[in-house]
Amino acid sequence: MTDKSISQEDFFKFREFFYRKTGIQFEDSKRYFVDKRLIERIVATESNNFRNYFVMLRFETSGEELQTLTNLMTVNETYFFREEYQFQCMVASILPEITAQKKDHSPIRIWSMPSSSGEEAYSIAMYLLEYWPGINQWDVEIISSDIDTKILAQARLGNYGTRSIQKLPPPLLKKYFKCNRDGYQICDDLRQAVEFTRVNLMKPADVRAYREFDIIFCRNLLIYFDDLSRRTAADTFFDALNPGGFLLLGHSESMSRISSLYQVRKFTDSVVYQKSKEAQ
Amino acid sequence: MPFVKQKQSETIGQDERKRVRDCASLELQLSDPNPTARRWAARDLASCPESSAALVEQLKQEPDSSVREIILTTLTQLGDELAVASLVDFLGSEDVALRNEAIEAMKLLPDEVAPIMGNLLKDPDPDVRISAVNILESMRHQHVETWLKEVIEQDAHVNVCATAVDLLGEVGTDYSREALENLKIRFPNEPYISFATDLALKRICLA
Repeated sequence: MTDKSISQEDFFKFREFFYRKTGIQFEDSKRYFVDKRLIERIVATESNNFRNYFVMLRFETSGEELQTLTNLMTVNETYFFREEYQFQCMVASILPEITAQKKDHSPIRIWSMPSSSGEEAYSIAMYLLEYWPGINQWDVEIISSDIDTKILAQARLGNYGTRSIQKLPPPLLKKYFKCNRDGYQICDDLRQAVEFTRVNLMKPADVRAYREFDIIFCRNLLIYFDDLSRRTAADTFFDALNPGGFLLLGHSESMSRISSLYQVRKFTDSVVYQKSKEAQ
Repeated sequence: MPFVKQKQSETIGQDERKRVRDCASLELQLSDPNPTARRWAARDLASCPESSAALVEQLKQEPDSSVREIILTTLTQLGDELAVASLVDFLGSEDVALRNEAIEAMKLLPDEVAPIMGNLLKDPDPDVRISAVNILESMRHQHVETWLKEVIEQDAHVNVCATAVDLLGEVGTDYSREALENLKIRFPNEPYISFATDLALKRICLA
């Protein structure tokens, strides 16, 4: 008979392990959320109890169960201004550093990956227009990439449902979108502001042309990768960045457990990762 | 709007490489004076199955940590006999960073490391045996508990056993109970062994 209880000690043990593997940290307040999903997987895998399940989770060669559980524990959704504090950090802390070190006044290059349906890349463009005074002095190039060509086509169209625009301040919704029968259509100026490209982050041939970026957003993607793929992605971003360039991950992700290539930078709004200015 | 789309975006996917990318040339580029070129060579060598020897040689002398990391990633991707054997050699290195990098890389290679784990756990150097137990900490393999049990039954070095007991506290089952109880008898004057063993046994009882 299956023991469907998760003790406090089990919860702590699981939380520490899961954090180590994925960078996702659960507060005590998430106990119900975590327990519910753990029990679901204990039953599904016929593990009888938490301990048996935990041992299997840790040492299963394929890592399939860890991936299944990770998918369950994460909410795969995107919307405009998601994790807005990182955009605040971009305009308040990161861009001033970048512009101070850019002597040639070349365009500021930003890479948003994965693009998904484009909310992040368009949010970056909107945020720069609305909250970064430097936008009047600097050219900015935004490239947004994804492995999925269908989702890229959707991103280029720029039509969104109410779920996507839920966090947008109403004045910005009014300014940059037109309401139509399919939802909300982003304006042509913003559509033209972003270049959408197809790329497989794991293929060197795909990524080698992606260089000289000042900022890379790669949020809530690495949690879906296995350890080796995370490391490969970290290596790729390193060469895609200019010296002194910044990498922004999702709030539950941490580069420190993946790679030692980056310096951790703690700003008021966010923790981000920087390629050393001296790096060659 | 101040947003631009440069010609670079048009050339994405049509990258013109400045250097020849065949395997032999890539191996030569591992010693290029420019670290970026060395990183790209190391990365592209992932598609050259015979390149482990060249990568290992470069790793031994590579001064740039970013290049070292990418060489290790590629060696992990290749995961062949030579790559694994070299990682094993690095476990005994005096270079702490290299030793730790090798441990991290080996954790990612459960199928390749499993056949040699028995030998690693019997290495004459206790530091190598401790590294081997550290690899088990994150290695996904069904024999992990068996290996740990053998360590606490057979290893004469208290620090190796202590490292294994710590891990058994997390993953041990009834299967290891007797070995844990015997460990306290083997090291009667080691308070930490007594403490860690009792904790592991308590956790097994609670399970």
